[in-house]
Amino acid sequence: MRQLVICLVALSTAVSFVAFPQAPIPAQGKAAPKAGGKAGTVGLYQKQPPTPTGPAPKLADGTPDLSGVWLGGGSNDSDISRGLKAGDSVVMLPWAEALVKTRQSKDDPEANCLPSGIPRGSPYPWRIAQTPGIYFIVYEGNIHSWRQVFMDGRKHPEDPDPAWYGHSIGRWDGPTLVVDTIGFNTKFWLDYMGHPHTEQLRTVERYTRTDLGNMTIEVTLTDPGAYAKPFTTVGRARIMAGTELMEYICQEDNFDLQHISGPAQGPGGNTR
Amino acid sequence: MRAKLSILIAAAVLALGLPIFAHHSGAAVFDNTKKLDLKGVVTKVEWVNPHAHFYIDVTDTAGKVTNWNLELASPSILVRNGWKRNSIKEGDIVTVTGSRARDNSNFGIAQTIVFPDGHKLNFLSAYE
Repeated sequence: MRQLVICLVALSTAVSFVAFPQAPIPAQGKAAPKAGGKAGTVGLYQKQPPTPTGPAPKLADGTPDLSGVWLGGGSNDSDISRGLKAGDSVVMLPWAEALVKTRQSKDDPEANCLPSGIPRGSPYPWRIAQTPGIYFIVYEGNIHSWRQVFMDGRKHPEDPDPAWYGHSIGRWDGPTLVVDTIGFNTKFWLDYMGHPHTEQLRTVERYTRTDLGNMTIEVTLTDPGAYAKPFTTVGRARIMAGTELMEYICQEDNFDLQHISGPAQGPGGNTR
Repeated sequence: MRAKLSILIAAAVLALGLPIFAHHSGAAVFDNTKKLDLKGVVTKVEWVNPHAHFYIDVTDTAGKVTNWNLELASPSILVRNGWKRNSIKEGDIVTVTGSRARDNSNFGIAQTIVFPDGHKLNFLSAYE
């Protein structure tokens, strides 16, 4: 039994850090790998072209250019408490701790083909489209959806209607796109383990294209309704050269849902 | 370091026996202790999300025919890993190994698919 537990821990750790594309940078504080390298497996995708090399590009007006098909996200979507900024920890309030222990895999909104919210990622690629005054983040999965980030200097509304992706406003901090989001509903889980949140959740995402093929993504979550203190996740994304976004209409035939059983658990079967 | 991690992952995945799923736990649906080894004729292919499926008729020694529903990854994952929508088609004779659903229905995950000429496909990929 002990061996099984060790194996599952090894699996979940390994999968979270390497096999699963939204994996965070493994060691806290370490820089993202340099661009380049051999063709090979990226996330769930095999025989992928090498990550492109070169400096981070800029648009004609000097704004950092975040274009491209990206794979990876800002947090460990299996268990958000892994891959945090050095010194950070996830400290749930008692009600949240109790809730996580009772959550069932079949109730995960992700398994029900509902939006993932922020910052939960997926093994599917995504894009950022930069247009004047507004950026769009377009997700292939899970689910096939999009977010809008207002870049025109507006403020958040006083009392936003709760939403899956909340209300996002963005600004540039040097090379880093900073996206501040409030106004979340409570319908999504932060990860496969079922970490909850309240409508008090605020996320601040920091997207930095470190070179042509790589991006670091840090997300600070503040939710005094569910967590004793804020925490920051650290993740990375890589350019997937040679592919485009494709359709992933999860709602089309979610046959598996009726066959899911057991406690909330990661894609590799790991539980808390 | 990467090579070591890859070996660790491969060992861990083999130990668990189920591939990594994209939007739910594979272990919450399939039981790795219920191994499947089926040979049959493909009766239908569903190239749909979030998982593609194909169905095969399996005839037992008494002549009884059972239709099995076998699951694959999503089409976008399969295509990026070398599959085509007609890589498996109605009338193909295939041997499938995998694991059965926890609820013991005639539903399973197709971990390997072997064709009479010896070429193989798997749940995620056409690259063997």
